[in-house]
Amino acid sequence: MLDRHHSRRAFLRAALQAAKGSCIALTIPAVLSACDQANEARKQQAAFTNLTEAEALAFAAIAARIMPSDETPGAEEAGVIYFMDTVLTDAEQLAFLRDGLTGLRQAAESAFGTSDFHLLPPQSQDQLLRAIEDGEFFGTMRFLTIAGMFCLPEYGGNRDNVGYQIIGFEDRHAWVPPFGSYDAERGGNI
Amino acid sequence: MAEAPFPTREPVDFVIVGSGAAGGIMAKELATAGFSVVVLEQGPHLQAPDFKHDEWGYDYNNELMWGKRHGHPQTFRRNENEEAQEVEFSLGYAHNVGGSSVHFSGNFWRLRPIDFMEASVRGTIPGTNFADWPISYEDLEPYYTKVDWEIGVSGLQGPWDPPRSRAYPCAPMPIKSPGVLLERAAEQLGYTAYPAPVAILSEPHNGRPGCIHCGFCNGYGCEVNAKSSSMVTMIPLALATGNCELRTGCTVSRVVTNEAGRVTEVNYWEEDGTEQSQRANAVVLCANGAETPRLLLLSESNLHPDGLANSSGMVGKNLMFNGYSTVMGLFENEVHAYKSIPADRVIHDFYELDPALGFYGGGGIDSRHPNRGLPMGTAMMGDPFGGPSWGAEFKQNLRRNFVYTAAFDGHTTSLPLATNNVTLDPNVRDKWGRPALRCTYMDHPDDIATMRFFYERTIELMEAAGATQTAGFYAEDGQTGNVHLLGTCRMGTNPDNSVIDANHRTHDVPNLFLCDGSSMVTSGRGQPTMTIMAMAFRAADQITQAARRGEI
Repeated sequence: MLDRHHSRRAFLRAALQAAKGSCIALTIPAVLSACDQANEARKQQAAFTNLTEAEALAFAAIAARIMPSDETPGAEEAGVIYFMDTVLTDAEQLAFLRDGLTGLRQAAESAFGTSDFHLLPPQSQDQLLRAIEDGEFFGTMRFLTIAGMFCLPEYGGNRDNVGYQIIGFEDRHAWVPPFGSYDAERGGNI
Repeated sequence: MAEAPFPTREPVDFVIVGSGAAGGIMAKELATAGFSVVVLEQGPHLQAPDFKHDEWGYDYNNELMWGKRHGHPQTFRRNENEEAQEVEFSLGYAHNVGGSSVHFSGNFWRLRPIDFMEASVRGTIPGTNFADWPISYEDLEPYYTKVDWEIGVSGLQGPWDPPRSRAYPCAPMPIKSPGVLLERAAEQLGYTAYPAPVAILSEPHNGRPGCIHCGFCNGYGCEVNAKSSSMVTMIPLALATGNCELRTGCTVSRVVTNEAGRVTEVNYWEEDGTEQSQRANAVVLCANGAETPRLLLLSESNLHPDGLANSSGMVGKNLMFNGYSTVMGLFENEVHAYKSIPADRVIHDFYELDPALGFYGGGGIDSRHPNRGLPMGTAMMGDPFGGPSWGAEFKQNLRRNFVYTAAFDGHTTSLPLATNNVTLDPNVRDKWGRPALRCTYMDHPDDIATMRFFYERTIELMEAAGATQTAGFYAEDGQTGNVHLLGTCRMGTNPDNSVIDANHRTHDVPNLFLCDGSSMVTSGRGQPTMTIMAMAFRAADQITQAARRGEI
């Protein structure tokens, strides 16, 4: 009875993605206070509060491969790196990501002769990321990229709601029927 | 009588632990009857202006559902031979005034007559504690109707719905595209889809406004008070009596009993750790199906060495989650399932499965928003239809997966088993130093077979609805957590195998009452909150009558 178009395996594989990287989590007061600090620091011309310039370049480059900018905006336009900088306040979590980045730089060095991941062409970046896509470092980068893409803008990402625009979500407080094309077609309620 | 606030060293008539679906009703009913009531709630008193469409906050930082990172770790294991592993949480519930009635989806099915007597009709099931309830649907019906009208429920009586003494107070919610697709599929396959009953107002009721269809119900607090939580419907009425004091940020550590075996007071911590104790003539625990048994187990004494009210050994046992399955379908036109309420149409043709299938079970199917209609949740999940989970193609498919999909979900029975339970973890402690909640759970093979049955029906329905691709899931290897926390202090006539009597009084302690999901004898088919609320109105009625007769 399971039709050829039906996929349970793909669904489970997809669901597994959702579970990865959720080690990055803070309580909301901590996040909001981190947002305030980051905004304050930016006012004083400091680009980043928790990340170094080099880390930010590399993380932003990874995010830009996860959610690339093409005909529609990606991680760069959404300001995902600022979200990452804001929420990465925990020393242990940051140390874990720094280790991951060191590994990625070594892989870049041995494959392409440079440890500057962010300067590599996209195809080379993708090649390096595909090699680690099942690992926890990449899972965490993916988690943070998506969180930064679709969070409320007050957390530092999803600038101008670009994340909402690419997925087709309109953050309105009120709707009236019809909501979608099938109920519009059907007419009244009962 | 003294008015609230009440001094802690003088006994109030009732201390109620928990202000959720049951506790809010208990507080309103007992305070309205003229009793002095103190409600102890461990969370804050959030209100509509506090709630936001904040997926990062609620879903990824557990702002409402506290867990490990808030100082409330839990542990989980499959069976008693395993060492339980620490998890964020396995037994999920909201920590705030109104409890999980604030953030729930609002789906509001009544049980049916069969649910209360299924063991007699269907036969007992070896190896399980499957049993009849000591009350019938007829006993509970007036209280179901009371819930409908007092809190506000929207719906339309369906063809095989249980009898009701009064129509729904509010018209059904407007249909959405997932509901239209479920209707179409049902018509083709010979089933009946009809409006899902919800505790969300379709029109103004009791001074509250109708829903504005923002779409953030499931996991979120309602920003306009259209969701009929006990926080907006009951707590204000309780406080308005002048007989009820609500103390928030108060975590109960122990229910204290005297040598006569009666409850005398309740120990608790205020938010800053200050120890307090409120004296009471009687205590009602409405702390939910995880915290109520935990508190009883924590309240052991010489007289009650295995935990308070636990002479049967049933405290914490028979935990039931309800089974769950989901199938997503991809459609040609825009569905926009994220707008308006979580579930708009329901099919109850499979309420009782034919015993000839070889397993026990039953349930309902409803039309839903995939990934609860959340953008971050949709993207966090890779592509359920098999595409990549990052990169340009992934990004391009997100819009398709968000805008053009609907889900049909199965909600099903769980059998009561002694081996599925809530106990105190011997190793892990919470921020107060109390042993953490330990959940031991493995779905019964019949429960898994039932989930599979519903999963297969929803695939057929999706195909009949015209989905071009489908993808889905059921808990083939068993569930590892849930937000339905049922059965852990079951109701019954026999003190040897139940914790409370038919009127929610514990068999062992005459002035201790329990009412929440823990009271349920069987699981129903999902969506237990309506039954928890109806039980609370009925229990409050019984407790009031007993108190007036001087029988507490």
